[in-house]
Amino acid sequence: MIYFDNSATTFPKPRAVFDRADYAARYLGGNPGRSGHKMSVRAADEVYKVREKIACLFNAKPENVVFTLNCTHAVNFAMKGIMQSGGHIIISSLEHNAVSRPAFELMNSRRNVSVSVARVSESKDKTISNFKSLIRKNTKCICMMAASNVTGEILPFNEIAAICRKRGICFILDAAQGAGIMDIKLGSGINFICCAGHKGLFGLSGTGVLVSDGKYQLSTIIEGGTGATSLELKQTDFLPEQLESGTINVPGIVSLGAGVDFVKKTGINNIRKKEDRLCDMFVSQVEQLDDFTVIRDSGKEYAPLVSFSYKNANSFEVTEYLSKCGFALRGGYHCSALAHANLGTKEDGLTRFSPSVFNSETEVRKLTAVLKKVNNIGI
Amino acid sequence: MQKSLIAVSSITYAMKAKKLLNNMGIYCEIQKTPKNLGSGCGYSIRVRDDLRYIFSILDRENIAHKAYQNLSE
Repeated sequence: MIYFDNSATTFPKPRAVFDRADYAARYLGGNPGRSGHKMSVRAADEVYKVREKIACLFNAKPENVVFTLNCTHAVNFAMKGIMQSGGHIIISSLEHNAVSRPAFELMNSRRNVSVSVARVSESKDKTISNFKSLIRKNTKCICMMAASNVTGEILPFNEIAAICRKRGICFILDAAQGAGIMDIKLGSGINFICCAGHKGLFGLSGTGVLVSDGKYQLSTIIEGGTGATSLELKQTDFLPEQLESGTINVPGIVSLGAGVDFVKKTGINNIRKKEDRLCDMFVSQVEQLDDFTVIRDSGKEYAPLVSFSYKNANSFEVTEYLSKCGFALRGGYHCSALAHANLGTKEDGLTRFSPSVFNSETEVRKLTAVLKKVNNIGI
Repeated sequence: MQKSLIAVSSITYAMKAKKLLNNMGIYCEIQKTPKNLGSGCGYSIRVRDDLRYIFSILDRENIAHKAYQNLSE
């Protein structure tokens, strides 16, 4: 199986990730922040080292790095934590359900929350202006993705974050498709970064991160044991423990540290260049096929993933056929109701090609050869 | 030098304090906060340097220290 579904979760992982997970499971069995015996403190020490690594990656303080189960959890913590007392929130028209569903859930379950969807337009300036025009007096938060998980389009999040900073609006970035391939930092208006640990940071499934700049105190949506302030019935009110109720995923977190090390050692720019090259190669081949349409516009900037459609079959059929041929791609709707509604692809969905730094040009050639065959004789 | 125990907010802050102090050449260990010092499960750092100096370092890095006690040698 040649794996081109790295936007869903990266595979394979660097070897050190597996090694560290194994080490943590075997030797870091103590519950960090709870018991205080040597093995517990050793586990806490290793977890803290990963906080430091992630803090360094995103320009944060280690204590403002919160480990979550995935990016969706991080977005829910941030968005619901900010919107607890009501207000207006703006999201983009390409958002993943991780952002759109909690936003609409807040709106539907509370009278005092309203949601606006800013259209992502042909040009960056127009998109920025669309966001600006929706800002109201009670706008409390803008939550948007760094890059679309459907089209790969990179959104002008830094510019919109800067507007938020000027207007005193909280800015939450969904960096699920950006972390590890884009240099994303707190500051300049970004108050929260949410990302998966298991995608561009090469951690294992079940890992995610919420990073705060410390400016906003979040309300909690989950309360419980934090290993701190244990005799109080009130939830611990400081990060990271405030948002880490229950035992954390030590093997996942410790191995995520190895993933972050890999990203730093390889270099974000080098990873991006390699993946971009594979995408460019894929696009140039598939664009020549009459029955295929690649979802890319000239003049826009893209994260390294490419979606396409095939005239004679829907994306479910295409990916099923490709799976039989030994290729792992994702078809369907990519958990992105808004994006597919905007792209007009709700009927057939799209097939997504998302390589990682571990893929080769030869593997891309093998895939495009199969697509050429499909173009000539069908599936 | 007198040994002391300083209670901090959580294991994360204990780790942060330990790294910070160790990097400055100040020996420091982490232990559970004893019952008489904290308000529930918590962590402390065990030090043997001048407390005022250590408090000034912790304050500079916004590491809240709730209580302390001197330990007999």
